[in-house]
Amino acid sequence: MGEVMELGRGTVPPPKDATDTVLFVRTSDMEIAGWDRHRIVEALVRETFLDEGTAEKVALAVEQVVQRSQIEVLTAPLIRELVDAKLVEFGLESARRMHTRLGMPLFDVEQLLVQPNRENANVPHGPEATNLTLAENIKKEYALLAVFGQEVADAHMRGDLHLHDLGFVDRPYCSGQSLEYLKKFGLNLPNSLAMAKPAKHAEVLLAHMVKFSAALQSNFAGAIGWDAVNLFFAPYLVGRSDRDVKQLAQMLIFEYSQQAVARGGQAIFSDINLYWEVPKHFEDVPAIGPGGEYTGQTYGAYEKEAQRFLTMLLEVYRGGDASGRPFFFPKPLVHITEKFFRTEGHQEFLRQLCELSAEKGNTYFIFDRGDTAKISECCRLSFKLEKSDLDDAKQPWRMRYSALQNVTVNLPRLAYRAGGDDTRLFGAITEVLELACRAHLDKKAFIEKLLSQGERGPLSLLTMNRDGQPYLRMHRVSYLLGMVGLNELVKIHLGQELHESPEAFKFGLRVIAHMKLVAEKLGHHHHMHFVLEQTPAESTAYRFAKLDLKYYSPQAGRYVRGDLSRGEVYYTNSTHLHVGSPTSPIDRVRMEGLFHPLIEAGSITHLWLGEEQPDPAALASFVEKVFRHTQSDQIAFSPEFTTCLACGRTARGLKEACAYCGSDEVEGITRITGYFTKVSSWNKGKIGELHERARCRGFFSAPAAVSGSAKAEGGVG
Amino acid sequence: MTLFTKDDCGKCDYVKKHVDLDRLGVKIEVLGPENPDALAHLAWHGLVSVAEKALPILVLDDMSHLTGAIPIKSYLEGISH
Amino acid sequence: MGFLETSFVDWPGRVAAVVFLPRCNYRCPYCHNHPVVLAPETLMPWDPEGVLGRVGELREWLDGVCVTGGEPTLHRELSALLAGLRARGLPVKLDTNGSRPEVLEALLARGLLDAVALDVKAPLEPLPYRRNGGPGAEPEAVRRSLALLAGAEVDLEVRTTVHPALLSRAELLRLAETAGALLAGPRRGATRFTVQRCRVEETLDPGLKDQPGLAPDAFDAWAREAREAFWGARGRLDEGAARAVAG
Repeated sequence: MGEVMELGRGTVPPPKDATDTVLFVRTSDMEIAGWDRHRIVEALVRETFLDEGTAEKVALAVEQVVQRSQIEVLTAPLIRELVDAKLVEFGLESARRMHTRLGMPLFDVEQLLVQPNRENANVPHGPEATNLTLAENIKKEYALLAVFGQEVADAHMRGDLHLHDLGFVDRPYCSGQSLEYLKKFGLNLPNSLAMAKPAKHAEVLLAHMVKFSAALQSNFAGAIGWDAVNLFFAPYLVGRSDRDVKQLAQMLIFEYSQQAVARGGQAIFSDINLYWEVPKHFEDVPAIGPGGEYTGQTYGAYEKEAQRFLTMLLEVYRGGDASGRPFFFPKPLVHITEKFFRTEGHQEFLRQLCELSAEKGNTYFIFDRGDTAKISECCRLSFKLEKSDLDDAKQPWRMRYSALQNVTVNLPRLAYRAGGDDTRLFGAITEVLELACRAHLDKKAFIEKLLSQGERGPLSLLTMNRDGQPYLRMHRVSYLLGMVGLNELVKIHLGQELHESPEAFKFGLRVIAHMKLVAEKLGHHHHMHFVLEQTPAESTAYRFAKLDLKYYSPQAGRYVRGDLSRGEVYYTNSTHLHVGSPTSPIDRVRMEGLFHPLIEAGSITHLWLGEEQPDPAALASFVEKVFRHTQSDQIAFSPEFTTCLACGRTARGLKEACAYCGSDEVEGITRITGYFTKVSSWNKGKIGELHERARCRGFFSAPAAVSGSAKAEGGVG
Repeated sequence: MTLFTKDDCGKCDYVKKHVDLDRLGVKIEVLGPENPDALAHLAWHGLVSVAEKALPILVLDDMSHLTGAIPIKSYLEGISH
Repeated sequence: MGFLETSFVDWPGRVAAVVFLPRCNYRCPYCHNHPVVLAPETLMPWDPEGVLGRVGELREWLDGVCVTGGEPTLHRELSALLAGLRARGLPVKLDTNGSRPEVLEALLARGLLDAVALDVKAPLEPLPYRRNGGPGAEPEAVRRSLALLAGAEVDLEVRTTVHPALLSRAELLRLAETAGALLAGPRRGATRFTVQRCRVEETLDPGLKDQPGLAPDAFDAWAREAREAFWGARGRLDEGAARAVAG
């Protein structure tokens, strides 16, 4: 047993690519007689900056250890460990770092193969999933050693900040695009075996869309978003029967919801942006139809077709899957604009949307107020379209947006350190953002290195050039600065939570305003687009709380949320109010919404419905008021479900037994952060949060502290 | 009352020049990269997106607001008499 | 009293605030608001001014205010509270068990109500009514309330809650039929008949959760039959209008 040594690599020409390396690794046992000290020397000289003399000394010392020892089977990892131990002994730390071997202990691999992965509930457990995790682990180590500077890497390890998706360090974060790219250029990917011309039929366009999403998933870490999907399909739907269109809607939703069988066993985190009206910026854009040909009309002429498709999509969402569960993906992001309220049929459509919200919870309501057009791409990431974007809109295939990376800062920790002193607190916020900025510079340099190899490099898909610029438009990418636990920061610093007094709330606004201005300054300085984001923080809120309990106890014990005795701890996400605060939905949307204009990359307010099935018309009335009376960017209503593994049916509420057949073989389903999933797959921190979520019912509240007392100062909104 | 302004803003200067803001007890907030407090105050009033398009903004005691140099000037002149 | 600032379930089609007035003359085993009934001191103190002030602030958000309980008609101050809501331009819905027809009549006469939801606990017969509403539950008063509402210009929702341990299928159908008959003929206001599934968590009678309940599909079948019985007895005069209000 035992693989033996890449030490031998020195005796043959250096490997040209990954395939050669794999062929070259020998796996037979090696006797001590076959030992060749010079291979250590060669490896050290090749991989580190050591001169041959020093390398020889190290190799000799290792040889002595090997000779003295009783080791019978010598493996490459073992030799490397011995060499590294000697490098430490000789004080050659930088050489040791460069000579590090990445990998996982036997014990961990075994654990991984038999235990489910709880970091991301979107990852199922299976051979393909564990492959992904193994690869991610090695890439994570590589990232922390070789991509990011030591100070950044250490800050991540300590939990001052969190570098997201380190296991995908060689990919950008997320991508948003429109179908126009596929309609114009067909499915024509670098290195693919077959090229497809632009689709002639809606079904083929859908196939292209799904395949391209999968290709993008392989090249991005996070969400894949599609703009105005119902509108861009519309030219293909002219003359098709309602039955055909319904069928297409079903295909679209089932295709995306069942992608968990694909690479990495991970569903494509997919968003589809939908509009009842034809967005103003597309009204006069020439429409592309079957075969990639212009139809001779503009998109303004396709309103009715787009609406027909949208209605069908809603119907499919409302039906749920074969056992009545909500579809987890693709997430429907429905834009509500000024024009929406001027478009015929919007009332009936809004009611249908709210029926879906009440029954299945899928709908995300995106509010685009005033004249700003927006495209949403990641789970909460949206961009206001600027002048250059609006020029792009005339050629919508050019509209491709990406955020390169997401770095989240641990706000409560800064408050522990500041000890109640404002100057120290704001100084610490600036420092941690500067560190986050360095993390972005490191990532940018690394991705640029990969991109520089063009269509023959590892990111060939992102360099493909079909319209005069590479698919990934580096000059347009954003760099996300997220935050976790503003509510706890304020509580630690002032003794009150955001919802408890106007002073606490205003202090929260000061923190975020400060962060926004620092981000802008850093952006100016580096000519990069830094934007604040509400990190979904599915596992980060748990990780920060755990690490703070480790490094900042006993203080942290008083401020982390959840159940300490069960280890179900978390911090409140981003700038949200505490999930368990007795704040009414009106105040929650209004108050949380005051943060949203400061957070450029998009924000959301979640309203947890629990078991309650609200009246759709009441929700519709509420949604319109949110648009009119708040600054909120986005809201979603989240119901809870119990699906029965025995009888296959789904009922409302999180229950211990099936409401239909009484079986206790049940699975709870609700929204974890930005998407629905099974509760059984949640990490401990999220479980802790779930117990504390205040559902929109079942509590009697005194008038809320902030709004009540804010009256004296003129109210909140 | 609060008047939100920024540097190098002709309309802001116009209001400041033509109205005795001190006498009327109008607090001036100057938005800028070094002033997070002014931005936070603006956000509290829900006016961040308004300020992206129009400055100065006058926030009245009842939380309503006015934009545009001339309307603000007329309003303030109206109450100063 | 209790106060819920936002509800999406208490007034069909509307975003409503809900005011809970303490104490009740009924003791329904499936009651969810029993802290209001049995331990009103655990809620916020009696503060109609505070509530009126707050709903005034929320005016642009609220499509109405639902006054519920307990049993609101037990309170002398009820009409003043409703008048206060009216003065702030807020439509008002009253939830009642129908036990005080004379109070209802006075409120209707003063035009203080836009909508009424009346809970019918059982067929309008003494024994089942006391079983589900407690010793103070008197079906004749409910009958008078229904007759009063038949002629009143308000939206009306007749509601009943179903748990098979407390209401048999036959009783549910009798209840629906009687209520429908009392409301027969055209009304000046929308009419709805709602059958609710009993939720057994945290009910006044904690033993209820150990009784076998109805599976959702069985419940749907009962509810459908009951609706048919109601509308059959009433005549399908304004079911369309009721649907429109339901939205």
